[in-house]
Amino acid sequence: MPLRDSLDPALSGADAIPNVTSFWSACLSQLERELPAQQFNTWIKGLRLETNGSPDQLSLLAPNRFVLQWVRERYLSQIQELSQQFYPVPVTIHLGLAGSSDAEAETLNGEVATPVEKLPEPVAMAPAIISGRDDAYDKTRLNPTFTFDTLVTGRANDLARAAAQQVALNPGISYNPLFVYGGVGLGKTHLIHAIGNSVYQANPGAVIRYIHAEDFVSDVVRAYQQKAFDVFKRYYRSLDLLLVDDIQFFVKKDRTQEEFFYAFNALAEAKKQIIITCDTYPKDIDGLKERLISRFDWGLTVQIEPPETEMRVAILKKKAEASRIDLGDDVAFLIAKHLRSNVRELEGALNRVLAFARFHNRPITIDVAKDALKDIIGATNRQISLELIQKTVADYYKIKVADMYSQKRTRAIARPRQVAMWISRELTAHSLPEIGEAFGGRDHTTVLHACRTILDLRSKDSHLNNDLHVLEQTIKG
Amino acid sequence: MNAAHSGPTRQQVLPHIRPPQIPSLDNFVPGSNGELLTQLARCIAASETRPVYLWGGKGSGRTHLLQAVANQTGTVVLPGSAVSGDYVPPDASLIIIDDVEALSAEAQIALFRCFNDQRPRQLRLLLSGSSAPLHLPCREDLRTRIGQALIYEVKPLSDGEKASALLYHAAQRGMKVDDHLIEYLLRHGRRDLPSLMAVLDALDQQSLEQKRPVTLPLLREILQPNLV
Repeated sequence: MPLRDSLDPALSGADAIPNVTSFWSACLSQLERELPAQQFNTWIKGLRLETNGSPDQLSLLAPNRFVLQWVRERYLSQIQELSQQFYPVPVTIHLGLAGSSDAEAETLNGEVATPVEKLPEPVAMAPAIISGRDDAYDKTRLNPTFTFDTLVTGRANDLARAAAQQVALNPGISYNPLFVYGGVGLGKTHLIHAIGNSVYQANPGAVIRYIHAEDFVSDVVRAYQQKAFDVFKRYYRSLDLLLVDDIQFFVKKDRTQEEFFYAFNALAEAKKQIIITCDTYPKDIDGLKERLISRFDWGLTVQIEPPETEMRVAILKKKAEASRIDLGDDVAFLIAKHLRSNVRELEGALNRVLAFARFHNRPITIDVAKDALKDIIGATNRQISLELIQKTVADYYKIKVADMYSQKRTRAIARPRQVAMWISRELTAHSLPEIGEAFGGRDHTTVLHACRTILDLRSKDSHLNNDLHVLEQTIKG
Repeated sequence: MNAAHSGPTRQQVLPHIRPPQIPSLDNFVPGSNGELLTQLARCIAASETRPVYLWGGKGSGRTHLLQAVANQTGTVVLPGSAVSGDYVPPDASLIIIDDVEALSAEAQIALFRCFNDQRPRQLRLLLSGSSAPLHLPCREDLRTRIGQALIYEVKPLSDGEKASALLYHAAQRGMKVDDHLIEYLLRHGRRDLPSLMAVLDALDQQSLEQKRPVTLPLLREILQPNLV
């Protein structure tokens, strides 16, 4: 059925140019008939018509740029076709973003204006040191975003960082090899790339090579197959700085270990720097030759530990900053609370939150973060325990968990303890005596007093009020 | 929506001929997965270079979505169990792996290598699994790399959305199905979408073979074959 027939005849009279509103409602009902209801509801229904009075121009505003893109790719030509059935003259259909000052973000002609967005596109961290990247740099296999500047330091890695900076300043001289070990996803790779980038910056002529142990193994296999060990040896001995990541992959690969041993000796003798990472302490690596392990003792072995809450928060803020996004403490704290064991997953969670906020065109609030984190965490119906409250409050106020049940009564400790008691009463079904018991065997009247104190203080002290809000949200998850 | 206006893929009213349903993003019922769909469209357009990971239970539509991306990009979906330890994708390719929890120990290392080489070799990764990365049973160095991806749960459809999906599926097959039939199906059948669709297909088949209209009694017979 031609579209014009579906309209009120008065509107589609032969000589009257139909107005855009009637076109759009006809168009909507046509699309509603043609598309599955779900598709229609998800992509089309939310489009808003905007008219500027001109009969041959039509602006459709999408709630966000993802819907905009989707509609542009899938439905715009269809809408355009319908308009041809409807109008005697060609009309221009603009697609734009709602809330954008420039409704003509994208037109059918493909002109693209920059849509006004709440959140910028994710950007790779600015390559802080490498401006004009070239072949020589590419050959290093270094990641330009992994620098000391972008590395967040905390108790978990400050020693390793200090050693790494030493090595970067005096490669081949201070500690050789530098052996960095620690669990998965704690930033070992970042740290050693930072050394590489720093050495490269100071001396662009240095021959640097980052290699994952797996790739080193492949290189050995290839050399073996092609009988090209000479080339292999020459290459590895020509380096000024060799960075080998995840050396645990050498386990039980004898030929690889042998080749690495020779390369190691040659480089060390020539005072060339070697840097190695591993997921365990060198002596604990099963299946690695003793003579290789003893070589690692020549230099310095440093550990990277899992980051504590504050450091995780700092990491999140730094990463958000790199994407030019201001991340609130409460949101950072929430993410940090859910992903404790490593930095990688922390970053995954942050990316998800940012993508979610961008899609829904919403600011990054605690509620947005919670929604987004559901995808990361999966359905966990966690019970709020007193231990969780104590731990979270202690972390927040930077005191020890043990202080929660200690007998100390200084303000710096007693106040957080009172806060934790109050939250325990608010968020759990535990009785006051139970709460008192959990806080170092205190009397229930102490808990009652704490709750009254906090209640009284929060109305006068906006700072405390904010703390309580953040903590409650964080604990509720 | 009557049989005369059936979908273009419908060939002839003959038993045993099923209209092929080629998975695409467009024939996926979005439900609450709008953001995910736009993300996958970005994968197709190669405008997303970060790894993307989808997870969801059986019947959530993960495979459909991966297949849709594969169809659009001329790639294939590798089932996790089919990936070998010496798997090396070509440079600058899109790697699509379904059911990462089924990767063998060697295949896990192969995928781990892909993650490590991602930047220099310009690899793009689209993976799916049965659970959120936090709960994936695989080696920790791989698990955390997956955890760094953009993670989406494929959200199950609500009953209303399932009904809408079923009606659409029926229309594609040229079936005339009453709303109350769908309601009945949702109340009495297994409620994951593939099972529901399968019942609908069986219903169509039976209706054609027995030359009976699609009615509630026929649906009952299919759902409870023991009664017949």
